[in-house]
Amino acid sequence: MAKVDAVVRRETGFVALWVVLLSLLMQAVFLVGGWWSLPVLWGNLLSGVAAVGNFFAMGLTVQKAVDKEEKHAASLMKLSQALRMLALFLAVLVGVLLPSVFNLITLLVPLFFPRIAVFLRPLFDKRQDQ
Amino acid sequence: MLELAIGIILGGCALGAGAAMIAGIGPGIGEGNAVAKACEAIGRQPESKGAVTSTMLMGCAVAETTGLYALVIAILLIFVAPGRFVNILLNALK
Repeated sequence: MAKVDAVVRRETGFVALWVVLLSLLMQAVFLVGGWWSLPVLWGNLLSGVAAVGNFFAMGLTVQKAVDKEEKHAASLMKLSQALRMLALFLAVLVGVLLPSVFNLITLLVPLFFPRIAVFLRPLFDKRQDQ
Repeated sequence: MLELAIGIILGGCALGAGAAMIAGIGPGIGEGNAVAKACEAIGRQPESKGAVTSTMLMGCAVAETTGLYALVIAILLIFVAPGRFVNILLNALK
């Protein structure tokens, strides 16, 4: 197995941190609202892991693609995106088909947490200060 | 008649989910183009590989969101919407 690039590790760590923080915030909202139950937690866990895993897989593909020729890199990225989308669909499908185990809202919302992490990225980007 | 109405609801939801997933094509093409241009940039300036990879990762994550929206809409249309619409129909007929 190829070594994971430091950039990929750092960015995945950042996204994972924000997914955990936002998941805790979401759990707190459910708790305060009185809607909390175990399926809420399981849904959040499944979706959070899927979201971070998707980002990490994207990072690995990017790491592999930048060392290749342009055309090959583009097709590799397209293939990876299709496969990752399929994997996410299967992960969410498991959750949707087991409504007694996974809450639908907490299953779908954490998929967008990496996007929020990216949105907040410039606030924590040290390179901007240089 | 009721079966026809339910069939139209299910068919409409399935068509909607399929149409929504067309948006899933875009991120793949966009990410592919972004990575191709990044390869070009790294080829020209190999010392900027780290910065380019980092920026591109973030860009790819943003592009990916469009596909995720489509995925979520499609899942809701397949698994949630038909039941709700059929319930509304049955309640309206009572």
